[in-house]
Amino acid sequence: MVTRNLSRRQVDLEIITEWVEPESRVLDLGCGRGVLLQNLRDEKSIYGVGVDTDPIKINGCIKRGVNAYQGDIEDILKEFPDNSFDVVICSRTVQELINPANIIFEALRVGRAVAIGFVNHGYWMNRLSMVFKGNRIVNDVYPQQWYESSPENPITVNEFELFCKQHQITIKRRVYLAGDWDTKLTFLPNLLSGYALYEIAR
Amino acid sequence: MTETQIESTTDNPPEDIGLVKYDDFVTPDTFTFENGGSIPGFTLRYETYGRLNDEKSNAILICHPISGDHHCAGKYSDDDRKSGWWNNMIGPGKAIDTNRFYVICSNCLGGCQGSTGPSFIDPQSGKPYGLNFPSLTIRDIVRAQNQLIEHLQLDELYAVVGGSMGGMQVLQWVIEYPDKVKRILSLASAARQSAQAIAFNEVGRCAIVQDPGWEEGNYAPEKGPNVGLSVARMMAHITYLSDKGMEIKFGRSRRNDSEGHHLTKVEFEVEGYLRHQGQSFTNRFDANTYLYFSKAIDRFDLHGETGKLEDVFSKVQARTLVIGFTSDWLYAPRQNREIVIALLRCGKNATYAEVDMDLGHDSFLIDAPELYDFVRSFLND
Repeated sequence: MVTRNLSRRQVDLEIITEWVEPESRVLDLGCGRGVLLQNLRDEKSIYGVGVDTDPIKINGCIKRGVNAYQGDIEDILKEFPDNSFDVVICSRTVQELINPANIIFEALRVGRAVAIGFVNHGYWMNRLSMVFKGNRIVNDVYPQQWYESSPENPITVNEFELFCKQHQITIKRRVYLAGDWDTKLTFLPNLLSGYALYEIAR
Repeated sequence: MTETQIESTTDNPPEDIGLVKYDDFVTPDTFTFENGGSIPGFTLRYETYGRLNDEKSNAILICHPISGDHHCAGKYSDDDRKSGWWNNMIGPGKAIDTNRFYVICSNCLGGCQGSTGPSFIDPQSGKPYGLNFPSLTIRDIVRAQNQLIEHLQLDELYAVVGGSMGGMQVLQWVIEYPDKVKRILSLASAARQSAQAIAFNEVGRCAIVQDPGWEEGNYAPEKGPNVGLSVARMMAHITYLSDKGMEIKFGRSRRNDSEGHHLTKVEFEVEGYLRHQGQSFTNRFDANTYLYFSKAIDRFDLHGETGKLEDVFSKVQARTLVIGFTSDWLYAPRQNREIVIALLRCGKNATYAEVDMDLGHDSFLIDAPELYDFVRSFLND
């Protein structure tokens, strides 16, 4: 299961690395141990800054020589002038935020573009679990039971795209991955994609 | 098990460095102070641990806090009751690993542990400098340290590390000598002294100068404003702790012999602790040095003329780690974060990490594995 999670992480990382221009300035919100920023530095010579609240994850960044800020995402975003970064990354972070809209708007102010990836709650397996078992799904992606997980705002592809439309946010690129988080698909993404990744901008 | 825990267990168990010796760097060259005034040469007392490598690329300079000195690790003799002030951090296999690094620590200019300061004999008058010692700044302290580094024939420092007043020196180092410093690590410090911290220092200074024993700074070497200095130290010590830390350590516990209703005898444990801290400080510290150091700290303000930290950090090349402590209210996390935010705003390589301990400002001196992990990761990256 560990390898499977790692390979899933890898998919996200590969697509974002492909999107980021060489030598850009990148801010990674919810950077974890800094694996993505390290990869971007090694492959694309970027200047990167990660943000995370967990000191153990910050320590992982320090080990990798990745710049990191231990603290609140909303607080640090306020400190940066408009367009300070070429890309702000929000990979599997947005569902854990309180009032994510504000953070998306701030990320769009601080960055010229925002790369945002999330697990699609509209994925058919997630629906089936609710419909047939009456239970919230517990699997590789959602390994924790409700009583041990952090509060989360489940997002679906449809809801996110509607949000962008309502707020005049341009979707510049999008990638839907199937339930295996590997195969790219374009057909019925809200139903069939397990993971969605967007590049958005104002 | 976390990544960090796995790594620590595979390291050799940390040891104490054992017996150490100090050395004196003496320069006959006139030293001119930032705010005017000069002295005809000076002495810095220092210690080094570990071995300088052939490339001379593994030197780490440690900068001490107000009451510290050059003796930051090991003992002078097996009979010494205490080791150097950062013995838990520095030594073979410790977070600042003397098996790998060549560690240097000097008593600051203006100090009273062997370096030239107010209690040092002025060669021109044959008497202690006293208040004739020129006005001192953190920058003066750093410029003097740099002369020691040059004397040791080091063109670069792998890292400059310090907490509190030591952290201020660290920041001044990277501004003054941006080409020389590869990494800086500042703990529980600030880019400028806050009004609250100035206020506490001022109470300490008032206690000293209003003690009749101060004699306008001209007290004899074996005498001095001991009451004032010990009150200053007691009060400062409170600012180094935290409400919660004191509650855990002392609570309301009383001394056994505290029965009756004396007004002035030690009744609560916390009183006894502070009195002991105050009195023992007068045995090892000079009151005039306390005045000079505390003023140097109060005047420290990197924001400069433009009021923008970014402007002074523009030439920084070093990789930076700033560590704040959640319970530190003297140099609160906010002040530590501000340093990193300014560095990031000007595109420098900087990290802010925070350690959640109950012990207030002094947390940086305490035995804490999470702190060691940060320091180790940073120095080994």
